[in-house]
Amino acid sequence: MNPDSTPPNSITELPTPEPNPNQQVRLKSQGGKLLLLLPAEAEGETGSVPWSELWEQLKHRLASGERFWQPRTPVHLLTRDRLLDARQFQEIADALAEVELHLKRVYTSRRQTALAAVTAGYSVEQHTPVAHLNQSPAEPGKPLEEPLYVEGTVRSGVEIRHGGTVIVIGDVNPGGSVVAEGDILVWGRLRGMAHAGSQGNATGRIYTLHMQPTQLRIADKVARPPETPPDQYLPEVAYIGNDGIRIALASDFSRLLANGPR
Amino acid sequence: MTRIVVVTSGKGGVGKTTCTANLGMALAQRDQRVAVVDADFGLRNLDLLLGLENRIVYTALDVLAEDCRLDQALVKDKRQPNLVLLPAAQNRSKESITPEQMSTLIAKIAEDKFDFVLVDCPAGIEMGFRNAIAAANEAIVVTTPEISAVRDADRVIGLLEANDIRNARLIVNRLKPAMVQEEQMMSVQDVQDILAIPLLGVIPDDERVIVSTNRGEPLVLEQKLSLAGLAFSNIARRLLGETVPFIDLNAPHDDIFARIKRFWRG
Repeated sequence: MNPDSTPPNSITELPTPEPNPNQQVRLKSQGGKLLLLLPAEAEGETGSVPWSELWEQLKHRLASGERFWQPRTPVHLLTRDRLLDARQFQEIADALAEVELHLKRVYTSRRQTALAAVTAGYSVEQHTPVAHLNQSPAEPGKPLEEPLYVEGTVRSGVEIRHGGTVIVIGDVNPGGSVVAEGDILVWGRLRGMAHAGSQGNATGRIYTLHMQPTQLRIADKVARPPETPPDQYLPEVAYIGNDGIRIALASDFSRLLANGPR
Repeated sequence: MTRIVVVTSGKGGVGKTTCTANLGMALAQRDQRVAVVDADFGLRNLDLLLGLENRIVYTALDVLAEDCRLDQALVKDKRQPNLVLLPAAQNRSKESITPEQMSTLIAKIAEDKFDFVLVDCPAGIEMGFRNAIAAANEAIVVTTPEISAVRDADRVIGLLEANDIRNARLIVNRLKPAMVQEEQMMSVQDVQDILAIPLLGVIPDDERVIVSTNRGEPLVLEQKLSLAGLAFSNIARRLLGETVPFIDLNAPHDDIFARIKRFWRG
């Protein structure tokens, strides 16, 4: 893309609110342990995420975040109201064991899940479903989560969703997407879709070494790259200017910032 | 230890089965004991490409149902004693078998002192794919230099990684060097840029593949190997750990006439 000179094509508003970011498996480190959060059963119209997809997400997340934790960190699993059986607990434990993590404790609001976890030998905390309604992510004024590091290629069909800034050390391939409530930094080639400030934060930015996306989104704005590709790719930043999404050379961007938003 | 290699692509029609048949044959020619397994239940083709269709008595499902022993179902190749085929059932769907059953079946074959088990994966990423990759410890991803095929291959590589098959290698099939030179087709480098896995081989587009398919005679059986046949046999050597330089597909095509033609076309 050409730096700044040409605004990217066709700027439209995003019609629908974003789907709940909690539909993905999330990992979060907290006080020397790792929290593994599963999406709740049946959120939104699409219904609940099937187990096979959850498992895939978990494997992707574990494979791309090895530097995020120390080996042998205890893992606490938050299953919310999801039903898990013994086999699924085993699959989670196996996936964790592969990256030297150990499942220690299970939090759930379902009696059956609690039973399965006890049988499998994990310590279990069962709480009433009311409790987690209060922790719903839609709370206003919620601070962004810690940045998420993703190492490796975000391939076609993979979607990284995170309630904070996402840093990808690798490429985002066509068909892959990154959706972040904060900024997105791709230390590699961005050829897929990137959506910064996904919960409406218009100050979200997208930084990449190679800006060749299928589509860019910041807050409720959408932009396509120009039809004719540029001769060469330089590190660039996408941000929201006066007339929608603009792109600037990374080397000029700090000066742009100093001169105030345009 | 038996190497269990799944040949997969995501998209259909890019040449998975052709690759499986030719690589199976080429490996067998190099004194490897090879079993090729057709995992495409309901749409089996591998038997046709090997010309073994009329020798099938039992299928993989019969083995699982214990209607026959494994060695009864394995069809021996008529030309190459080192090669056997485990046919898929044609009258059943992909849901009639589970990944666990597939693993058991392939473990049984592996016990039988084979050096290689090549699994021909069906198109798609549903049950048939899950079955085919269940037992594999290596993968060959076949793609053609088209964005649709590359996109699907990318998805498949992601799924293979999620299933702990990390040593996936790439075959770029049906390359037309002349078109690449005129920048009308993705180059091997373009494909590799996106997929980012090691390249196992490049197979040029060749009409003889169609003839060989129809006859049930893999290309690598030819007395004088065609370029595509040579590419397959080089891939087999690379699978066995040899370092074989890639064939320079440009050289023979870029003669003086082609240059003049390009010059006039501007």
